[in-house]
Amino acid sequence: MTPCQDTVIIEARNVSRQVTANGNIKKTVDNFSYAFHKGNIYNIIGPSGAGKTSFLRLLNRLDDPTEGKILYQNNRLESYQPTQLRKNISLIFQEPYLFPGTVGTNLEFCKSDCTQNEIKFHLERVGLNFQFSGKDVSELSVGEKQRVAIARSLILKPEVLLLDEPTAALDPTSSQTIERLLLSLIKEFCLTAIMVTHNPEQAKRMGGFTLLMVSGRLVEDGETAELLTNPKTESGQKYIRRELK
Amino acid sequence: MIETGYVQVLTAFFLVALAFVLSRIKSIPVEKEMAFGSVRTFIQLIAVGYALEFIFNSESFYLVLLSVLIMLLVASYTAGERARMFKGGFIISFISLSVGSLVTLGLMLALRIISPEARYIIPLTGMIISNSMNAVSITFDRIGSDLKSNRLEVETALSLGKSWRQASSRFYRDAIRAGMISILNFMKTAGIVALPGAMTGMILAGVSPLKAVLIQIIVAYMLLSSVTISSLAAGEIVIRKYFNDVEQFTG
Repeated sequence: MTPCQDTVIIEARNVSRQVTANGNIKKTVDNFSYAFHKGNIYNIIGPSGAGKTSFLRLLNRLDDPTEGKILYQNNRLESYQPTQLRKNISLIFQEPYLFPGTVGTNLEFCKSDCTQNEIKFHLERVGLNFQFSGKDVSELSVGEKQRVAIARSLILKPEVLLLDEPTAALDPTSSQTIERLLLSLIKEFCLTAIMVTHNPEQAKRMGGFTLLMVSGRLVEDGETAELLTNPKTESGQKYIRRELK
Repeated sequence: MIETGYVQVLTAFFLVALAFVLSRIKSIPVEKEMAFGSVRTFIQLIAVGYALEFIFNSESFYLVLLSVLIMLLVASYTAGERARMFKGGFIISFISLSVGSLVTLGLMLALRIISPEARYIIPLTGMIISNSMNAVSITFDRIGSDLKSNRLEVETALSLGKSWRQASSRFYRDAIRAGMISILNFMKTAGIVALPGAMTGMILAGVSPLKAVLIQIIVAYMLLSSVTISSLAAGEIVIRKYFNDVEQFTG
């Protein structure tokens, strides 16, 4: 661990979220406990409907747990103003939504007083040149949109990046470009990244730690290389053999 | 001069028969509603005519107040039906319509533009409440449907640290504007595409066109004021229903 990686930044303690859909009660997240350390990358893997996205939404406080608690810097999420908390723990959606207008206006949306230099700096951080600033968002490819979405989050100077399958809609080349970009940003700024992915290969490339969720529960966690090659639980072994639906 | 009596009204009923036959030929399934609506219009308006005659003659303040209250309650119920997705649609409609119509009416009375007589207050209040009711219904409908179909946009804004008000401001503005479109179109085309109803009624009743026009202008301004205030009030209260105290979208 590097010096920035020895502190716990987010901790989930016995977190559950119960929802009612079509009259049925379901736990999308079930008794989830885990401590996330600063400056690390965490991959959350698991079959569809395992509660991965639901868990990210709890960290960004778009939803609240029905049981348990989540701590950020040792304080409960509820003790922060939601608007400020979401700037510190920023969520990037699977399908990036850019507000109508230009790339520049999207970055200004997050920080109305940001200068042209800041826009240039943040666009370059995600591998886009400054000319993109005046480009209409409707002209961008999906990969470019995702980069703008990342730049838009970075302008808020978050400590934690929550990424919900950020490369799901991208081709393999664009996908790996985003992965490299994320890895360099995490290293450079000691960011903590919690990324949901459906792809074990992607988790391997990202490294760090991996958490396997099944039916809302955290069933196994560990260093990515170890978990994905030598899972200890039956669920982990089934997941690797692609037997978990 | 138009002759107005029951005989003329019953004779005009052949127009209903014409519409009925045409829709039957074209298999448009509205015969029942048409028949029911025609009879209902007749009975309702005759009953209202007698009631107004009675109220105007009595000059009772309480009867005027009761009439306004009944109009507000019925309009609130109708607009509230458009707000089934959340609780309290009737109350929100009632507050919005009361604020819009009473502020408008109160100002007109205070400025002595209209005199406090039943024959002015009741028809004018009816017009402004009816127009405001439509605007409030559209505002309810639009806010709900726009927020739900643009969930990703709303939650993206929230996830970037925006408040619920910032995340929903575009939808609030669009809904209010949609609610006001009818009155804005009316004001754009008044007298050109069609003579407004109130003015037509006055001219048919023998009032000079110039006087009818002046009254119609006042009515149009009252409608604009009431529709704007009611839509803004309804939008302001309703949009809050889609978010909780911790800036989460609950729609």
